Amino acid sequence: MKQLVLLLVLFAALALVPAFVGSDFWMNLIIMVIYAALLGQAWNILGGYGGQFSFGHAAFFGTGAYTIAVLQVQYGINPWVGLVAGGLLAAAVAGFIGFATFRYGLKGSYFALITLAFAEVLRILSNSVPFTGAGVGLLIDLDPSAANLQFATKAGYFWLLLTITFAAFLTAWWLGNSRFGAQLMAVRDNEDAARALGVDPFRVKMSAFLMSGMFSGLAGTFYAQYFLYLDPSIAYGSAVSVESLLVPIVGGLGTLFGPLFGAVALHTLSEVTRELIGDLPGASLVLYGVLLVLVILFSPRGLAGLVTALGLRRAAARAGKKETRA
Amino acid sequence: MTGISKNGGLGRRQFLATTGAAALGLGVTGFPAVLRAQAAPVKIGLIHPVSGFIAFSGTQCREGALMAIADINAAGGIKSMGGAMVEAVLADSQGKPEIGAAEVTKMVDAGVAGIVAGYSSAISLATSQEAAKSNTPHVVDVGVADNIVNRGLKNTFRFSPGYGACAASAVDGLNAINQASASPAKTAMIIHEESVFGTGTANLLAERLPLIGIEVQDVIKHANPTRDFTNIVLQIKSNKPDLIIPANYYNEYVLLARTMRQQRIEAKGIYSVLGGAASNYKFVNEFPEAADLIMDCNHWFNPKSEVALQRKAAAEAKGLVYTYEVFLAYNAVLGLVDAIERAGSTDKEAVNDALANSTLDMSFMPYNETMMVDGQNTGAAPVITQVQKGDIAVISPADFASAEPVFPISG
Repeated sequence: MKQLVLLLVLFAALALVPAFVGSDFWMNLIIMVIYAALLGQAWNILGGYGGQFSFGHAAFFGTGAYTIAVLQVQYGINPWVGLVAGGLLAAAVAGFIGFATFRYGLKGSYFALITLAFAEVLRILSNSVPFTGAGVGLLIDLDPSAANLQFATKAGYFWLLLTITFAAFLTAWWLGNSRFGAQLMAVRDNEDAARALGVDPFRVKMSAFLMSGMFSGLAGTFYAQYFLYLDPSIAYGSAVSVESLLVPIVGGLGTLFGPLFGAVALHTLSEVTRELIGDLPGASLVLYGVLLVLVILFSPRGLAGLVTALGLRRAAARAGKKETRA
Repeated sequence: MTGISKNGGLGRRQFLATTGAAALGLGVTGFPAVLRAQAAPVKIGLIHPVSGFIAFSGTQCREGALMAIADINAAGGIKSMGGAMVEAVLADSQGKPEIGAAEVTKMVDAGVAGIVAGYSSAISLATSQEAAKSNTPHVVDVGVADNIVNRGLKNTFRFSPGYGACAASAVDGLNAINQASASPAKTAMIIHEESVFGTGTANLLAERLPLIGIEVQDVIKHANPTRDFTNIVLQIKSNKPDLIIPANYYNEYVLLARTMRQQRIEAKGIYSVLGGAASNYKFVNEFPEAADLIMDCNHWFNPKSEVALQRKAAAEAKGLVYTYEVFLAYNAVLGLVDAIERAGSTDKEAVNDALANSTLDMSFMPYNETMMVDGQNTGAAPVITQVQKGDIAVISPADFASAEPVFPISG
């Protein structure tokens, strides 16, 4: 319950950010952090809580993004409808991939490779079929109005994204505090033992995959409306899959706030390195890489693990002082 | 000690005291007045992919843009704004549209008067759209996709030709060369990279080549990056097309051309459209055999213009390879600064109006008079070049040609 209160307070405070941040640059940076947190939490639902490491979350992101773009550009369907359809279709793709893999007992590195392959197949397909614009991509017309899911200011995009992200975080909180979540984590820790206790691993993993795919798809719909341009590399390229898993790994796998920590850390790191040595081509990426290695090296359980460890150390120190006084 | 020297002049101490006081006085009163008179610099944002898989081209763009700024400042800056110097604000898009767009917001916050971006079409689409949200003037240097400018953004301009114009010129030019040949080409294969530039160009060519009697046997798409072209070249070998038409970025173009040479592909000609390497001195110098007699419909300077040749010499003196990225980015900065000069301010609306009405003298390019229609300079046109004897010669149109075409190269 303490975590839920913290979550509510955090998102309520975040909702007020546009009132205090006037600069478009800072708003953009905050939006990209929240967007990364959404991608990371979507992956965390399956990878962190469920222990199923997907290397192909771009498959769901791209499906969501292309759904909203194709419906708008090719069929003139309102993007609000596309937003919902994008999430649902991404969940459907996750369901298909999940069925094809879990049904045949694929896990570990085999599962990771299959998801990677599916994302790549979708990238090649979207590069070939005309309704996705093939290699030319799809350009959504710039027509700012809330009805078009395009906002005149960044605040509109921010609140839309924050709402979706809040839903993803609430789902993660529910996983940490529900019977279903306990079953999912039991499957993660020892699938055979969970099965022996009466848990249906297939059903549990499929459900987590559907939720994860849906939130990833919603992140894709947001991307499409925010940047208004998509091509196969953007939608189904490996960059999205890597960002999706990097954020929770850095932040803390299977933790509620890990993806948020990871998103903040990665984007801050990226921005700081670009600001420091951005004029020297590629140097910021090298520094970013080195710092990332250091973070992972010295905090293998992620930043959330680091925070917990610091909290425990303080508590132990306090307890030690009390004992000494006594 | 009086402070007056024996010869009636000032003593050392008095001299120091007097000059010190004078310098202090000037420091307090004189120089700040001069500084106040000096107009504030005008910031221009330059967003290019200087890291990532298209880093070479992005860096070339940056260098070209910086050369233009240095030349403008050396010539006295923006005269209508009291000789304001132009100051570059640099950013790396890393080859990613979303990072390019994020850099635009940063630059708008930093108060840039305009933006020159972004080398690739996908990045240019994202940067121009983001700049449109704040009506910030945006000049595209190289991105060739036609929808960058024809989607109605009031802030987006391009002084160079798009791929629609390039494909039309390429087909017309090829037709003329083919008709004049004793052994005209009848079949072709198109090899293109998979993004918007390669795919868009390939689609236009596949549509138009049959209209001039050339059958398109196959259109092969490849990813970026691709490091092995053996399978693609074997497909070419089995189809035996008269013409091979590549449309790729630099690295892939070089690898494709080298693999074709290794596999001893024999065709009547290699005719690139916006080929990343075919009009590039680096390729010609490093791989002269693979480059020999390749034709390319591409951006190029006017080889008969003294100004163009001087700029080429200046770039080469700096150690740069004078590729189209360098002079197109140079021209983009020139066009933007010319608009600010005519607007007499950095007011965004005024600069956009000035850009829309630009009549910039571009006689250093093989262009007609500058005229903007929906942000596109309709006077801009590509030329056809051919690598001959280790140099790049213009073979069409006749007004700018420095050599006759060699076609067919075999059979």
